[in-house]
Amino acid sequence: MDKSLHLDSVIKTHQITKEEQLLNKHKDKNKEVKEALEQKYESNIYSPFNSGSYAKNTAMNTKFDFDMVCPFKRNAFGSNGTLKQMYEDVFDFLYEKYKDDANVRKQKVSIGIEFFADEDGDIVKIDVVPGRELNQDQYKDDENLNLYVYYKYGNFDQGSERIKTNVQAQIKNIKDRATKEKDSIRKVIRLLKVWKNTKYNNPAKSFFLELITIKAFDNKDVSGNLWGKLETVLQYIRDEVTGESFTLKDPGNGSNDLIDTLTTTERQTLSDDMKNMLERIEDNDENIKTYFPENSKFLEEEESDNKYENKGNGFYSNPPKNERFG
Amino acid sequence: MYRINELGLTLEIEDDLLCSLIDIGIKHYPNEFGGFLIGNYSETQTHLIITNTILPNKFKGTPYLFERDTIGIDDKLKQFYAEEPKKYYLGEWHTHPNNLPIPSSTDINAINSIANHPEVSIKNPLMLIIGYDKPKVELGFYVQFKNKLYRYE
Repeated sequence: MDKSLHLDSVIKTHQITKEEQLLNKHKDKNKEVKEALEQKYESNIYSPFNSGSYAKNTAMNTKFDFDMVCPFKRNAFGSNGTLKQMYEDVFDFLYEKYKDDANVRKQKVSIGIEFFADEDGDIVKIDVVPGRELNQDQYKDDENLNLYVYYKYGNFDQGSERIKTNVQAQIKNIKDRATKEKDSIRKVIRLLKVWKNTKYNNPAKSFFLELITIKAFDNKDVSGNLWGKLETVLQYIRDEVTGESFTLKDPGNGSNDLIDTLTTTERQTLSDDMKNMLERIEDNDENIKTYFPENSKFLEEEESDNKYENKGNGFYSNPPKNERFG
Repeated sequence: MYRINELGLTLEIEDDLLCSLIDIGIKHYPNEFGGFLIGNYSETQTHLIITNTILPNKFKGTPYLFERDTIGIDDKLKQFYAEEPKKYYLGEWHTHPNNLPIPSSTDINAINSIANHPEVSIKNPLMLIIGYDKPKVELGFYVQFKNKLYRYE
């Protein structure tokens, strides 16, 4: 089996444009939520913008990632207002507005709005990330924001008042890579997201996988066909992520280290996952399908002459007397 | 329906049977367990349906090994063959407690041995692995085709 051919099909069948209807529903809801926030907070809010994978063009159709950053003015909740107040106020507003149409819940640094399935069974999910500029009117100049950490997030403690970040710089970080390299990076990121989706409750955030992929491209000779590139990135994660001195700087704020979003145990698990994956694929190429499955919804049917066959005497068989499985 | 896109071969398994195999495997947890897969082929021989299982009368199961014997299954195989449409031995299933449904080297040896066994008429034996990777149950359907093991998706 040609592993790169399979990986190309994985990307092709996960392309977001394949799900045009659902994508349009997300765009419509996104617009509606944005306008509701602007109407509610008027001059206390800068224009909300998308920061998730859709903005970075690394989205997949099995899980849309619409993150909307809401940049608030420093004094939006009073000159002594806290980040907690900002977070709670936005939550209360969204909860009241959407409680009959969606599950609205508090997440690590965002508020998740998961709309109930519509008549087509489609579910739209938007994560709203409230952030506050560092000083009054400074956001226009530096685009820096402080976020509120609602519950324990790797090594960031619950209630910790701030993760300072610059989301625009994060987006730019991926958008700005040289075109040729950017396509390879995006493909590898997409594949890692497909893998992440096969794992139950994987603690590695998509943004973490994006940054570590970029770091692998910066530090290793990532070349060859698509499998060769992916393999190099997997090896890099396996070898480096547990290192004591390993850092993953947030391009939005050099003093944020994204490695702190994972605990030591989670880092070890991630490294072990990479090791197992590489070993199993080395054992048998077919195992790549377990870790990087195609999206069967969009597989193109292929005609073939292959058949289930017998050895010439019909299909009736007696199984071998003793057989051992492991 | 499960499919190997590269080969154009498909497979289906009845829901009740699948649930029952998963439950039987859980009863033997944390040891491995398994059995024989029974079913039939479409007229075009590009599609197969797994309809039944035969459980072994004699077996040995540990957390990393499952060994079965065919003692006492002959009559059941014949009964299935007498049904209309005829049902055949299609392959084998077994569990992987606390692990993914990825074939071990022992599994690969077993499927090779089955495919090449003189008393086995089918060229393409199936192997279903049920992985209990808490809290999920994951299934891996495989078929031996031209000396290579393919996975259905």
